[in-house]
Amino acid sequence: MLQRLLILLLLLGPLAVFAQTRTVTGSIHSAKDKEPLPGASIVIKGTTKGAVSGPDGNFKLEVTDPAATTLVIRFIGMQPQEVPISTTPVNIVLQSAGKDIDEIVIVAYGTAKKNSYTGSVAQIKGDELVNRQVSNVSKALQGLAAGVQSASSSGQPGSEATIRIRGVGSINASADPLYVVDGVPYGGTISSINPYDIESVSVLKDAASSALYGSRGANGVIIITTKKGKKQGNNIDVRVSQGFSKRAVKDYETVNIDQYFQMYWQALRNADQSGDPTIAAQQASGNLVNELGINPYGNAYPEPVGVDGKLKAGARALWNDNWDKAMQRTGHRTEADLSISGATEKTRYFISGGYLDDQGIYLGSGFKRYNVRSNVDIDAKKWLKIGLNLSGTHSDQDAPPSEDSRSDNYVNYGRLMPDFYPIYQRDPNTGAYVLDAKGNKIFDYGDYRASAGNPNTNLVQTSGIDKHNVLQDDISARVYGEATIWRGLKFKSSYNADYAARQTHDYTNPTLGFDAEVGGTVDRANYRTFSWTFNNILTYEQIFNEKHHLNLLAGQEAYKYTTTFIDGQRSGFSLPGLDELSAASLIKDLQGYTDTYSLSSYLGRAEYDYDGKYFLSGSLRTDGSSRFAPDRRWGTFWSVGGSWKATQEAFLKDVSWLNLLTLRASYGGQGNDNLGTSAYYNYLPLFDVNSNLGAGGTFRRKIYNPQLKWETNLNLNVGVDFGLFANRLGGSVEFFERKSKDLLFSLPKAPSTGYSALDANIGALKNTGVEVTLRGVPVKTKDFSWVVDLNMTHYTNKVTELPQKEIISGTKKLMVGKSIYDFYIRQWAGVDKETGAPLWYTSNASGVKGTTSNYSLASQYYSGSALPDVYGGFTNTFNYKGFSFSFLVVYSIGGKVLDQDYTLLMSSGNAGGRAWSAEMLNAWTPENKNTDVPKLTTINNSWTSTSTRFLYDASYARLKSINLSYNLPKSLLDKAHLNNVLVYLQGENVFTLYNHKGMDPEQTVGGTTYFRYPAVQSISAGINLSF
Amino acid sequence: MKKYRLILLTIFATAILVACKKDFLDTKPTNAVPEDQVFSTADNVETVINGTWSYMFEEFFTYAVPGYKSIHLTSDAMGNDVAITSKYGLRDAYTFTEMVDPTKNRVGAFWTILYKVIDNCNNIIAKVDNATGDANKKAYLKGQAYALRANCYLTLASFYQFGVSVNPGAKAVPIYTEPSGPATQGKPRATITQVYQQVIDDLLKAEPLLQNYQRNATQKWRIDLNVVEGLLARAYLYSGQYSLAPAKAVAARNGYPLMSGDDYNKGFNDISNAEWIWGHAQTPNQSNASYNFNFLDVSSPVSYYYSFMADPYFKSHFDNSDVRTRLFDWDTLPSQEGFLRYKKFRFRDPGAMVGDLVLMRSAEMYLVEAEAYARSSNTGKAITALNTLRVARNAAPYAGGGNLVDTIMLERRKELWGEGFSLSDIIRTGGTVVRKAFLSYQNTDSLISVPRADGTFKVVKARGHRTLKFPDKSAFQPNSPYYLFAIPVTEQQNNPNLNN
Repeated sequence: MLQRLLILLLLLGPLAVFAQTRTVTGSIHSAKDKEPLPGASIVIKGTTKGAVSGPDGNFKLEVTDPAATTLVIRFIGMQPQEVPISTTPVNIVLQSAGKDIDEIVIVAYGTAKKNSYTGSVAQIKGDELVNRQVSNVSKALQGLAAGVQSASSSGQPGSEATIRIRGVGSINASADPLYVVDGVPYGGTISSINPYDIESVSVLKDAASSALYGSRGANGVIIITTKKGKKQGNNIDVRVSQGFSKRAVKDYETVNIDQYFQMYWQALRNADQSGDPTIAAQQASGNLVNELGINPYGNAYPEPVGVDGKLKAGARALWNDNWDKAMQRTGHRTEADLSISGATEKTRYFISGGYLDDQGIYLGSGFKRYNVRSNVDIDAKKWLKIGLNLSGTHSDQDAPPSEDSRSDNYVNYGRLMPDFYPIYQRDPNTGAYVLDAKGNKIFDYGDYRASAGNPNTNLVQTSGIDKHNVLQDDISARVYGEATIWRGLKFKSSYNADYAARQTHDYTNPTLGFDAEVGGTVDRANYRTFSWTFNNILTYEQIFNEKHHLNLLAGQEAYKYTTTFIDGQRSGFSLPGLDELSAASLIKDLQGYTDTYSLSSYLGRAEYDYDGKYFLSGSLRTDGSSRFAPDRRWGTFWSVGGSWKATQEAFLKDVSWLNLLTLRASYGGQGNDNLGTSAYYNYLPLFDVNSNLGAGGTFRRKIYNPQLKWETNLNLNVGVDFGLFANRLGGSVEFFERKSKDLLFSLPKAPSTGYSALDANIGALKNTGVEVTLRGVPVKTKDFSWVVDLNMTHYTNKVTELPQKEIISGTKKLMVGKSIYDFYIRQWAGVDKETGAPLWYTSNASGVKGTTSNYSLASQYYSGSALPDVYGGFTNTFNYKGFSFSFLVVYSIGGKVLDQDYTLLMSSGNAGGRAWSAEMLNAWTPENKNTDVPKLTTINNSWTSTSTRFLYDASYARLKSINLSYNLPKSLLDKAHLNNVLVYLQGENVFTLYNHKGMDPEQTVGGTTYFRYPAVQSISAGINLSF
Repeated sequence: MKKYRLILLTIFATAILVACKKDFLDTKPTNAVPEDQVFSTADNVETVINGTWSYMFEEFFTYAVPGYKSIHLTSDAMGNDVAITSKYGLRDAYTFTEMVDPTKNRVGAFWTILYKVIDNCNNIIAKVDNATGDANKKAYLKGQAYALRANCYLTLASFYQFGVSVNPGAKAVPIYTEPSGPATQGKPRATITQVYQQVIDDLLKAEPLLQNYQRNATQKWRIDLNVVEGLLARAYLYSGQYSLAPAKAVAARNGYPLMSGDDYNKGFNDISNAEWIWGHAQTPNQSNASYNFNFLDVSSPVSYYYSFMADPYFKSHFDNSDVRTRLFDWDTLPSQEGFLRYKKFRFRDPGAMVGDLVLMRSAEMYLVEAEAYARSSNTGKAITALNTLRVARNAAPYAGGGNLVDTIMLERRKELWGEGFSLSDIIRTGGTVVRKAFLSYQNTDSLISVPRADGTFKVVKARGHRTLKFPDKSAFQPNSPYYLFAIPVTEQQNNPNLNN
């Protein structure tokens, strides 16, 4: 375009001395790391005219004044540099001002310099992510950034971690952060992103940084930026690793067979209804084997436990089969990545392919991922840049039931099956394996087992036949064009689409196990989601009088999300070996629906700084959401921020030990409209569609609320960043207060009205906390360095306003002044010393506290919080010549977890045939009255019901990752025409310190368990090659 | 330059226009419809009857609570004649530890089902008159909504307070007759007399509305006049209005002759049974309610839980000639030896795991008639009604001797075993649960000989009731609070008016 302009000038102005218009091009890099410096200002000396370098550090500047001779290049934190104007491209290398180590961070709709930014951002480099053997990037964020709470509650390969940024600002609405990939909210699956492709992850924590994502930034924003080509020429990187995995922590300890039989005898005897102790003992001895369904002591001992409750002399279990062990294996992990990246004068590209095979530690589980990515940026014209990021991922996950109370939960199955039920058929008299005609062992399906022992099943075998498969295809595209309209005025338009197709295939075979009687079942579900974001942004950046730097942004954005679900189920396979819908005879279910969600937004931001010392920012965004009624759907969100870079002041410039001191503060509001994944239309009075025996049906399931509106989060952030002693010690301390009002809440109603809850905006909530991030370099010599990174977060959560005195929902009670993380449950009062009955506290109307052995009469009390006092991470990195050794410890101190997984192993005896935890050995007997475990009995005494008895300290520290690597010396590599060779050894979840044995300490943020796949420990070795 | 700016402006403007398109933010679900559409025509209102019914029977709460029919199973689990095994499902109801506990899932589920159905009925009753369409059809729909609501309140009256004779002013459950909205507050508990009156008022309103309604014979779930009369017969009987019950019982069974002895042995799973007045059919793709058979069915290999074993003493109440005795059979499965199966309920199609569910049949109406006559001292008519049923079952006719009312109550237990009347009969009559250990006369195990699959016989201990007392170790007694269903904790916590 400018060329055309020149031609025009040429034609119209023959007198114009066009030789005087000079075009200066060049690139600006930092001297320290040779990285390009985007956003550097290039000004013609003595004027206000100039340009700003692009993301690649390149710039172009038209100089019309024939008298101009010099350009001044400035970049915050760097020493300004003057270069003569020349028409040959200049390569400018800026030296650090010696005062700080500045970092470019990715923020909403652009980039910023960390040390002067008004908002709160934590950035994690790609290098830190590839040190981790995780299949899902969300799991790699743990412990690396202050304020980010990550709970990897499932060890299922490919599963996602729950992320909470600065606490939970919402009670019922979603508390998940917004994921942004390459600048645009991401609608795909997080597990489809290959961590290897990631350049950086930014976590936006306060209003100034995230308010521009207004409608959806209330829970913080995680910006994932993928790699781009940077260096001239072609770079080929190859990375291959192999590893093994097993359970990170041991499971709960259980009793052995002899103990079990004697304990179950007690349970039977104690449940006696005859009132005669002799008869009770006789019946217990007589019924024991019948109740449990098997006699592992052989026919020589038809009643293995005598009327004295003791095992008969000489009785020895003929087998002892560990189902938990049988359900597990050593997982195998293979990962390989290849990338080609580079840049020419006008293009930058990054192309990669990846392969991951992460086999799970439970039978029938695993995750395979194949992905490709191509990121290309082209300077199409002098005034026009276009770019396309395209990625495609196919994953194949085997995810058998876990996090489910189903009896075929693969984690529970082995845990809960006692050792006396044989895995393979045994001769009841000798314990020898029964063999088939070919001499093979025969799996035992145990039709004789007691019902808690899952009769007629054997998952050890059927896990290899049944399927719980998830196929996922993700395609994600980011295409943009950016035109320079006039000097610093740019227009960028981008269209971004995320497509995800997930197909589940659950199949149980027709001959063996859970569904053999119905001839097997197959369930095929298909979820298609497509979302697009179209945005148009105008930006203007200019420097006035060398000291006033102004950056403006205005734009419009539209977002639409559509999800379609189809599910079909059949049963009754005609023949074994077939597992698709058509092969089964009976249609059990067929359903499907489509949901649509749309958002329309207008946004603006202004940033100003004076002389690199004073920074101000403000943003405004308005969003309309389809989740609310037309008259209530628009919400306006805003932020203001300021920072002062004190070390730029004359009076601090000469303080040699102080390299950086920045003070900053921000305040603003963001919105939340996310009532949940299936709650798109709660303002409408709707009747659900169903059917009855072929006739169409509708009914009202939920009550509607036309008054619903945006939930607002008001965030205050005050922080200080510092660097001391030549930046050997640096860090930041931040204080935040996050207030949520108009909380989207599922307000419990009297269920007799027909509806148990009403979605409404009620009350207010406050999270207050402190985050500390420190980085120290205790040792730094020519060959050796030791770097310590530490972050810690402490926050409290408080309800500040409610429409009524209290709201009780489940194990929580909301009251002003209390936290939503406080447990409100029945309190355990121990075991009645005389009767062995369980006791709970109960308060009468006047508040006098007594005890009761009737659970339903027990009162609920506030019983501590799930919230940790402090959590964070701690990384040590040692470098010696080519060697590097680092380890990351994540920790969480304080807080409680309610372990309801454990209660399944703690039955008083009413679940005969289910394994018992070792703690049950301590059950009350007349001889053992001082105990915390009540008397054994086959009659349910509700003692495992939710109470403080099963509330445990959730503190833990985990050696999350450990990494040892060696860079081969250059001298060797040159001969092989290699740039770089790195060999490494990695460990994940290597060691865990925690108190409550058996439970994996990483559960949910809310402190509850749900039969989850435990965390996995893995060790891998790998090699990186660069050509 | 101008042209280029123009292009950009055009793109920009188009973009904004796209985003501003008026309906861009108006999204609609595909599996739900707005209320105004539902109540616009009579045909659409009919979908609410269908949908509410389907919700009532097909909604799973847990696998132990597969819809409304689960209330009936719970009622029998808490009575005399079913020796519930310790398997998943009803074991804690059986021991009287579950329904008394307001925190239990089952307690919350029953309450939720009944009141959600009531509110949907209230919506129909309030809004059907304004719908367009055939006036007759609107009348039928309104009548069905009244009757369905009455059935819910009758169920509530049966399990949440003792019979009217104990204390007619005792507080039972709240009554709602208007549709709930976002601002609706919880109502106080009405007295047991008021709840029964609500039931009878609703049914008397339904009667004329359904006068000319003819349902398709295959759709026995639809409420017609016979069903309304049957519900009225129950309501009059349960609330002690004995003189009004017999006529309604007779009207209810009109057209539904007693089934044959062979049909009695066919598994109680088929809506086409001549005697069924009201029932819910099941198909392979609508089979959640059939899940109840996993507890009821103790003989089909496909069944999961085999919970409903008979108390061995139950067998002794039958004559040998009685067709109903054919259903007794000592269990032969290795893990079940010693249990006495009563194979009354069996999946109709085991492969699909479906079986239809019975809600009302003529036999019950004969027994309602007999009981109402007996309690109002009309012995002759009572005996006639009782013996009509006995003869049909090939049992010896009642020829005097013993207490007639007790005889009829025992006949109810024999005829209606597993159909949900055990506990409600005990509550409304001020009776008591009776359970004895099945021991020999020497107080030792009763030994029985059961056949093995290979033809041999094995001597095992017979197993009867495993819970013979209340959880607090006290003996079973009349009008015990252990019999009543608790009002769920969520109601207690969120309805400040409950006890006003």
